[in-house]
Amino acid sequence: MSSQCLYAQLLFLATVFAGYSTIGSTLVLGEDGTAKSEKATERRKDDQQADEVARVAAEIDRLIAQHWTENDIQPTEPAGDAEYLRRVYLHISGCIPPVSVTREFLMDESPNKRRLVVEHLLDEAGYIVNSTRYWRRAMLPETESDLQTRFVVPGFETWLREHMTTNTPYDQLVREIINTPLDNDNRNEYFARLQSSSPLAFYQAKQVAPENLAAATSRIFLGVQIECAQCHDHPFDAWKRDEFWSFAAFFAGIVRERQGDFVSLVRELPDRREIGVPDTDRVVQAMYLDGAEPRWRFRVGPRETLANWITSADNPYFARAAANRIWSQLFGIGIVEPIDDFSDANPPSHPELLDMLAREFVAHEFDLKFMIRAITATKTYQLSSRQTHSSQVDPRTFARMSLQGLTPEQLYDCLAQAAGSYQPFQPQAVFFAAQTPQGEFVETFAEEGASKIERETTILQSLLLMNGQQVSLAVSPESPRSTLGAIVDSPFLDTKGKIETLYLAALCRMPTESELRKAIQYVEPTEVTLNKDATKALSDIFWALLNSTEFLVNH
Amino acid sequence: MTQTGINRREFARLAAMGAFGASMSRWLPALANDTAGNPARTKSCILLWMPGGPSHIDTFDPKPDHANGGQFKPIATSVPGIQIGEHFPKLAQQMEHVVPIRSMTSKEGDHSRATYVIRTGYKAEGPVAYPTIGSVLSKALATPDAELPNYVSIGPYRFLNPAAYAPGFLGPKFAPLVVGTPNSANTENYSDDSLRVRNLSYPQGVNVAQADARLNLLDGLEADFAASRPGVVVDSHQTAYRQAVRMMRSEAVQAFDLSDEKAALRDAYGRNQFGQGCLLARRLVERGVPFVEVSLNGVNGSNSFAWDTHVENFAAVKALCEVLDPAWATLIADLKHRGLLDSTLIVWMGEFGRTPRINGSAGRDHFPNAWSAVLSGGGIRGGQVVGKTSPDGESVEDRPVVIGDLMSTISKALGVDPMQQNISNVGRPIRIADPEAKPLDEVLL
Repeated sequence: MSSQCLYAQLLFLATVFAGYSTIGSTLVLGEDGTAKSEKATERRKDDQQADEVARVAAEIDRLIAQHWTENDIQPTEPAGDAEYLRRVYLHISGCIPPVSVTREFLMDESPNKRRLVVEHLLDEAGYIVNSTRYWRRAMLPETESDLQTRFVVPGFETWLREHMTTNTPYDQLVREIINTPLDNDNRNEYFARLQSSSPLAFYQAKQVAPENLAAATSRIFLGVQIECAQCHDHPFDAWKRDEFWSFAAFFAGIVRERQGDFVSLVRELPDRREIGVPDTDRVVQAMYLDGAEPRWRFRVGPRETLANWITSADNPYFARAAANRIWSQLFGIGIVEPIDDFSDANPPSHPELLDMLAREFVAHEFDLKFMIRAITATKTYQLSSRQTHSSQVDPRTFARMSLQGLTPEQLYDCLAQAAGSYQPFQPQAVFFAAQTPQGEFVETFAEEGASKIERETTILQSLLLMNGQQVSLAVSPESPRSTLGAIVDSPFLDTKGKIETLYLAALCRMPTESELRKAIQYVEPTEVTLNKDATKALSDIFWALLNSTEFLVNH
Repeated sequence: MTQTGINRREFARLAAMGAFGASMSRWLPALANDTAGNPARTKSCILLWMPGGPSHIDTFDPKPDHANGGQFKPIATSVPGIQIGEHFPKLAQQMEHVVPIRSMTSKEGDHSRATYVIRTGYKAEGPVAYPTIGSVLSKALATPDAELPNYVSIGPYRFLNPAAYAPGFLGPKFAPLVVGTPNSANTENYSDDSLRVRNLSYPQGVNVAQADARLNLLDGLEADFAASRPGVVVDSHQTAYRQAVRMMRSEAVQAFDLSDEKAALRDAYGRNQFGQGCLLARRLVERGVPFVEVSLNGVNGSNSFAWDTHVENFAAVKALCEVLDPAWATLIADLKHRGLLDSTLIVWMGEFGRTPRINGSAGRDHFPNAWSAVLSGGGIRGGQVVGKTSPDGESVEDRPVVIGDLMSTISKALGVDPMQQNISNVGRPIRIADPEAKPLDEVLL
């Protein structure tokens, strides 16, 4: 062998070794050899993920920008740091950031601080609580208005919370719901299960009726509304009555016992896969929505078969409906809107984008957090809500971020955070909730299904904010642990500093020059104005900040 | 109608606050010229809304000679020749003021869509957000300096289709003030508090001067945000505040406090949310509110959509009528006693009727093909029946009435031109009733 060859071989080996040490120091041994290598692997995973996030984000931006160009749309300016921080806090955590966090963020100069905030928030309890509430509302919409079904909420939320904590892949979550064992020996057992951590509430809230379950499963997980076809052929879309009942047939094995309206016991007959169409002599077999016949497998029940079909990577509806839903969580409206009405009469505003998002969602194993990371990293998400051009008027162009209403719990938490008395929102005992101040607050701001980007303040809501207990306590310096009290008493803050802190607490931003000037004028007595009470004046300013639209919405 | 005008001092203070950004001329009665041609007293409308689709055969279109007639028998009324369901004994005594319309017909059998069509007069198609009847009529009947909101809704059950209860393209200014709860007539748990408007007074320690200063600050604060984020979110916020402040400073808001009514009268209405809601409706109408709706969603022990009687229809309808009948009859008598009946139209309806054929669960299912609505009170010739259904109740035999016709009739009875237009959110003008609508002339005075 020539020396060149040997040299080449040695060079090769050296590169390999060098490569190893640069990649992961796997060969660096020491006392903490394993720990270092774990950290290194994690760092590698983090980097890989960051790259993935960046890739998908860039693709999203490209497709959105393409749409703008094709339609002569001028996007607005990028959101400033304060705007961005408040927005991600609200979207991920359901509450505004505390003053210290805002101050720090505004002063931070690191280039990837925005992405790091998202990472931090996704790891916090706030995300778990906020996402649990969101998905509970999505899956159990009946519980919003029908008091009788509300008692199932705690058990369902416990189950959901566990999954949000472990970031269970979405397909697994849905399979667990559809596959929940439904056979119970007696009423006590059934009732106990309803109260425990389980998705059983999904069934109970729909009276465990096959037709309701079929309609809900289709609407929530596939975004397809078939309920009209329950009674007659759908007027607009192609669904026929028999098709509806064929889908309901997957739930045909369910046997319920009722006491009045309330389902007291549920049993399941295995392998029943046909159902009679009401008021007819027809019996239909279980069939998928696209008309395909299931390939039945030995010992695999109809619901499990359905669950596999729904959550399959090939299912044309599942990933798109989910991706669309996540998009709407962050933008206020979906690419298909309403998000649970995929139909020919309701096409996506950006079909290529939706398909891409669905593909990525599947490719990343239905990881909800990944989608949130990717979307919040886009330039599109980070646009301001400020309108700078008339072409930004249509919210479906995403040329500016839409104002988005908050849920009652989020608003309550924001008030508490601003006021300094923040404790995580405690859901009240179901039936007496309305009698407490917190319950009253939540009821007054209950959304009644209105569009998030077109939230309208009602007279009762404005009365509650103007005169109600929550804001009054917040703007009273004597309240325990109050932000205002701390500001008023602080010897380190001059008037300017006090006002800035009030703005940071309420609106998560610094006041503009002119706002500052006006506020200082209001607070500091001058020769012209009478000797004013500075504390009262600061309280007034805080009151105005908390009653503003800017406080009330996510923007 | 009591109109407490704004005196000069109030006007100056409110104007200085800048909290009322609209044109100043709104405050000067002399310049008020856009309310639909109104004589001395503007009329009012009370809508008794029955969500779920009330059974018409068991209420206003009895079929005693057919199996479809079911368990109930008809009773005679104060008008010879007119019979209604046996569970309306009190209303039957007031029949000279009542007009059942037995030939309503529509196409929607789905709760959500039917509610929208019946409550707006238009189908939910395309981008137009049609306003609900209360918004449209209260706008037409509104007085310029009213202290109370022009449209009050008591205990609405909006869950299935919030858009059917919304002001649509008319905007948040015409949204109803909502009091009461949708889980309504629970007689055991009724409390006056549920009908009160909460948080009307300033918090402790805050006087008028400080409140004014705060509102002034708020106004200044909103300006920049409103300019850079135009749209309904900011608009509705500012509108709601303006209306709320106006209400706070009015005396008319006493209407919501029922405690000064005689106990016997309150008993006659019925001590439940629907009954007391009807009493509240009278008080609001007395103070010039042009449109009040009261929903009867359920009764003691039932669910909140009780008229949707797919199961055990008869027991449910009987229980509901035991609340409905005394409240409605007392409302008519009370309005009459106070000289308000001639100027108050009371409309009773739901989104459709129920199947004449009784199903396997002793229930009736959705039936839009032929159903009943009822007009009562002022602006109409009471004591007659409009239309007829077939002996089995399955179809309309005579004088079919579609929702547009009914809207048109209601409009005219209130002195409002049903062809009056409003500009919709797509720029197209929309009339109160659709252009093809034909009012029921035999019913109008």
